[in-house]
Amino acid sequence: MAPKKFYHDDPAWSDVEPIPQDDGGPYPLAAIAYTDEYREAMSYLRAVMAKNEASQRVLALTEHIISMNPAHYTVWLYRAKTLSALSVPLSEEIAWLNPTALRHIKNYQIWHHRQTIINQLGSPKGESDFITSMLAQDSKNYHVWSYRQWLVQRFNIYTDEELAWTESMIDEDIRNNSAWNHRFFLVFGKSKDAIPSQEIIDRELDYAKSAIRKAPQNQSPWNYLRGAVRHVKLPVSTLKQFALEFADTEKPDEVFSSHALDVLADVYAEEKGMEEQARRALELLAERYDPIRKQYWNYRMGLLGEGRVV
Amino acid sequence: MPAEMRLFVDEHVRYIQSLDTRKDELEYWLTEHLRLNGLYWGLTALHLLGHGDALSRQDVIDFALSCLHDCGGFGAAPGHDAHMLYTVSGVQILATLDAFDELEKRVPDGRQKIGRYIARLQDAETGTFAGDEWGEQDTRFLYGAFNALSLLGLLHLVDVDKAVAYIESCVNFDGGYGTSPGAETHSGQVFTCVSALAIAGRLDVVERDKLAAWLSERQLKNGGLNGRPEKQEDVCYSWWVMSSLATLDKLHWIDGEKLAAFILNCQDPEHGGFSDRPGDMVDVFHTVFAVAGLGLLKYPGVLEVDPV
Repeated sequence: MAPKKFYHDDPAWSDVEPIPQDDGGPYPLAAIAYTDEYREAMSYLRAVMAKNEASQRVLALTEHIISMNPAHYTVWLYRAKTLSALSVPLSEEIAWLNPTALRHIKNYQIWHHRQTIINQLGSPKGESDFITSMLAQDSKNYHVWSYRQWLVQRFNIYTDEELAWTESMIDEDIRNNSAWNHRFFLVFGKSKDAIPSQEIIDRELDYAKSAIRKAPQNQSPWNYLRGAVRHVKLPVSTLKQFALEFADTEKPDEVFSSHALDVLADVYAEEKGMEEQARRALELLAERYDPIRKQYWNYRMGLLGEGRVV
Repeated sequence: MPAEMRLFVDEHVRYIQSLDTRKDELEYWLTEHLRLNGLYWGLTALHLLGHGDALSRQDVIDFALSCLHDCGGFGAAPGHDAHMLYTVSGVQILATLDAFDELEKRVPDGRQKIGRYIARLQDAETGTFAGDEWGEQDTRFLYGAFNALSLLGLLHLVDVDKAVAYIESCVNFDGGYGTSPGAETHSGQVFTCVSALAIAGRLDVVERDKLAAWLSERQLKNGGLNGRPEKQEDVCYSWWVMSSLATLDKLHWIDGEKLAAFILNCQDPEHGGFSDRPGDMVDVFHTVFAVAGLGLLKYPGVLEVDPV
């Protein structure tokens, strides 16, 4: 841990009269205990904020407070204001942010701050490497993936390179739902209603299928596959042969994926004269392969007579 | 009843009461930015456990109002900047304590002021909401705005149709919702979107069966719920997932008994409080969502909860 830093005996701060915390009166619920170091630093921050000071020492002060408590967003806000007032080269700010973000991986403020800075810089250069280092710590971190989406949109990075990177993330962990979502966002998300070319559709369906063959019970590629089929307005029967690789209502002991049974139930429900097969798939799910959701499967069975599917 | 299936009400009440006296602990000041939220969570848990009077009503109101700024927004603690998240907690606390009259007495035109603060955070172009003047946007803030405004009776101050259209633009290929268009479906964000739509009276735009199927898939074999596919279970999703299912009238699609057993296993039977999963450290955030989850499951000893 860094040695404690105090301001009252620092000549560089001798001109500042610190403003102590006002707990808002003598309310027992309000009083807040701080360590002395944090309490003092905050009292100096209040003082510089009261005078609207923008200076290098303010940057150092905010850095110090953030190192103690990165979730205090007032500090971030004032730092951003100071940066813009001082016209500090923003690349320096990013260089400082990188290790800070790595230390506080689930913090909201850091991401918003970063987005503000990169937006002003007008270039995503270096961001991809930074994101990779963040994801090495937590490959499903929601902030990181949201930020990546923002970068793609802001700088129009719907590229093959981005797709290849996403693929490498899926290769690393085939159950990373965030990576699957990012792929969907890249391939189908640019324009909500546009349907991609047949070539791309085939590529995507094949991609999800090959992932499922590696881990048939993995929810993410099944959601992706069904989402893609729906998005490009293909009937669910498109997936019948594929689902039969993992489950067959005639062979109730050889089911390798409950998701395949789910698909088959939908396929048979739409197929003329196959209602009994659909019922059998749903029964297998309710009784054997996914009994925790029995009520849901029963509900689906109830829909069969009405010719409706989920 | 076996010990692990019992709800330790007295211990939980004492735990929540003790939160404010733990000021010598490092964690206390590190969570200062959540103080008003924490107070709301603790207060709500106490109410659900039938011990709403375990915190002094006047102290709670005094503290909440000491966080209120002239602009109409609440900060996390006195002297902290105003933000949507604390404003929602502030309004929820006042509503829980039936204290809007007191607000008007101490802050003339207080309700309108708060309502206008929230309304100013709506993005006129897209319809969603920012958390503060700094501009971070998230469907959490949209829900918070709707929740607080409906408690204040001031929902007409914002463009509800535009906000609903924004939520519709967030729907994903799996039927769920994220923080913004295209962002991964997450149970917490599903809750915010579904509940906001319920407040707006616009659940008609939800693909109920598809979304509820995704939500019910969150239940794992151990009974607990996760927030996203292929992630670990966590007690707080008992609330996000279950309340969404309840709003969609599909709560019975998950196994309530197994979930109740999982939640009860997250208790600290000695010192009170709930943790994210069995054996971890307890905190007030997981405590309120565990208790609220039990409320939705109609567990004896917990008041029933409105999912929205």
